[in-house]
Amino acid sequence: MTGNGQQPLLEGRGVSKYFGGLAALSDVDFAVYSGEVMGLIGPNGSGKTTLFDCLSRVQEISDGQVFFKGKEITNKKSYQVAHMGLARTFQVIRVYRKMTVLDNMLLSRQWGGQGMLQIFRPSQQRTKKRAHELAKFLLLDHVIDEKAGNLSGGQQRLLEIGMALMPNPDLILLDEATSGVNPTLIETIKDRIRELNEKEHKTFLLIEHNIHFIADLCSRVVVLDYGQKLAEGTPAEIMENEAVIEAYFGAYGEGENDSEA
Amino acid sequence: MRALAQIWQRHDLGKWIIGLIILLLLALPLLQYIPSEETLVTNLLLFSFTQMFMLVTLASNWNLTGGFTGYVDFGHAVFFGLGAYGTGIVMAKAGWPFVPALVVGAIVSAVFALLIGGATLRLKGPYFSIAMLGTLVAMREIVRVSRPLTGGGAGLTLPPYLNRPLFYYITLVLAILVVLFIRWLRQTEFGASLIAIREDEVGAEMRGINTTRHKITIFIIAAFSSGIVGGLWAYQNTFIDPDIVFLPARTVEMVMMTMLGGLGTVAGPVIGAATIYWLRDVVWANFLDYHLIMQGLLLILIVLFVPEGIMGTLGDRSGTTVGRLWGKYISPAREGTTQAEVNP
Repeated sequence: MTGNGQQPLLEGRGVSKYFGGLAALSDVDFAVYSGEVMGLIGPNGSGKTTLFDCLSRVQEISDGQVFFKGKEITNKKSYQVAHMGLARTFQVIRVYRKMTVLDNMLLSRQWGGQGMLQIFRPSQQRTKKRAHELAKFLLLDHVIDEKAGNLSGGQQRLLEIGMALMPNPDLILLDEATSGVNPTLIETIKDRIRELNEKEHKTFLLIEHNIHFIADLCSRVVVLDYGQKLAEGTPAEIMENEAVIEAYFGAYGEGENDSEA
Repeated sequence: MRALAQIWQRHDLGKWIIGLIILLLLALPLLQYIPSEETLVTNLLLFSFTQMFMLVTLASNWNLTGGFTGYVDFGHAVFFGLGAYGTGIVMAKAGWPFVPALVVGAIVSAVFALLIGGATLRLKGPYFSIAMLGTLVAMREIVRVSRPLTGGGAGLTLPPYLNRPLFYYITLVLAILVVLFIRWLRQTEFGASLIAIREDEVGAEMRGINTTRHKITIFIIAAFSSGIVGGLWAYQNTFIDPDIVFLPARTVEMVMMTMLGGLGTVAGPVIGAATIYWLRDVVWANFLDYHLIMQGLLLILIVLFVPEGIMGTLGDRSGTTVGRLWGKYISPAREGTTQAEVNP
């Protein structure tokens, strides 16, 4: 599904981000099409997370434009983008550690048609039902009343995915969803992403260092290096691309890298 | 002890005890009218309670921004002061009656919160705290130099009205209303969103919470309520000047009371304010010069041993030694909150 002639769900045009004199991203053109699972890879410090931050409006964009569902979101705030149906997780886990798993999920609920006054009431039954369903789907139902800070790293990753899924978004950006997660849970995450993509037609954009994860799930991969787009193609094409191999210095053969500067 | 805890839980004794305390407080001024040789309830006692109710309300308001939202406001007394001056000016200069004047004072506070919050709430952590402290000091000087309106450093005298029981009841009802309001707010999505902002503002925003609007809304609510307390205080005191209403120590007081009771809990500021007020006025007052040392010592002890305050420690039993002991011997955790098989 490369979407020939189809309008992209999320599109970046010439996205650049400078930190002082450092160009973290320079002129990245980029498109995610509805219904696909796309991978974003690159060596540490290549600008993957910065690109995520720019796309999800956590950081200001220095130059360029971002479109979501055909509307420009370059100057929108991240809560507005969330209301439009874009959700993400973070590389450094961001769950509300002092709240229970259930409360974490309830706070990331459906946004459509929420007026200012509607938030002055307890969570609705419908929202609670969805939170319980998602907790079950992500194997978190037995810890649903536990404080999120007491969960294991892997469980917190799953919870973050659950929080991202709560509002029923169309596009989900997952930033290293498998880092620090044991192999069994990685399989679970993989199955869940595949299931959501196939059954509910959710679109995913994944940052990953785990090349097998990418190869199994993604139909298309974009490679970033030094803030520039180095290559784009199917996982098989990417793995044979010499520029990519050079950028990684063969490092992808080791399987996974956990940290990124 | 366990048996007691069971009885407590089965009959929900907490609610009954709170109800009883409120009834006793409501009945207290009536004791004045019982004929007896000695005065059972002096005006001084009523005055002390009035002060305490105001402190309960102020600490609860401070807790809204400092405890729930995580924006530690070192200048919250500015809203108390603006309420006092707003009420004082329209009463003394324009001759308004008290109730509309009180509303004016509260509105002045709320509007100022909207204006200043729009700027300062963009700051995080200590930067916000210091900016608010600066706001308080700046406002004190602004009031001091605006002599024609505020009376300047010489102060402002309000029409005297001495009715201790009336102030007692007004402040008691206000404190109850504010605490009930916060209890309700805590259960709404809005209240939960405030805690989400405290825990992780970037995450909260990414998950669809309009953090700016939430922060400013709660800031205005707290300011409005503290403005009312300021107005009441001004009328009861009949005299205000910049140094007594814009007192940085008043904010420190609110912080300390809330911390002792438990940041971000509904009952915390109530317990903290009552404890510190009576400790200070009944116990420490006997030690004259040393009472500040004791106050400082208490603050250190709180931070060291009950950093989450009384209510916070009782709520999260696993976090601290005191909490663990409480959970083990006195009140076991409720069902559903037990520790699951999880990593530390």
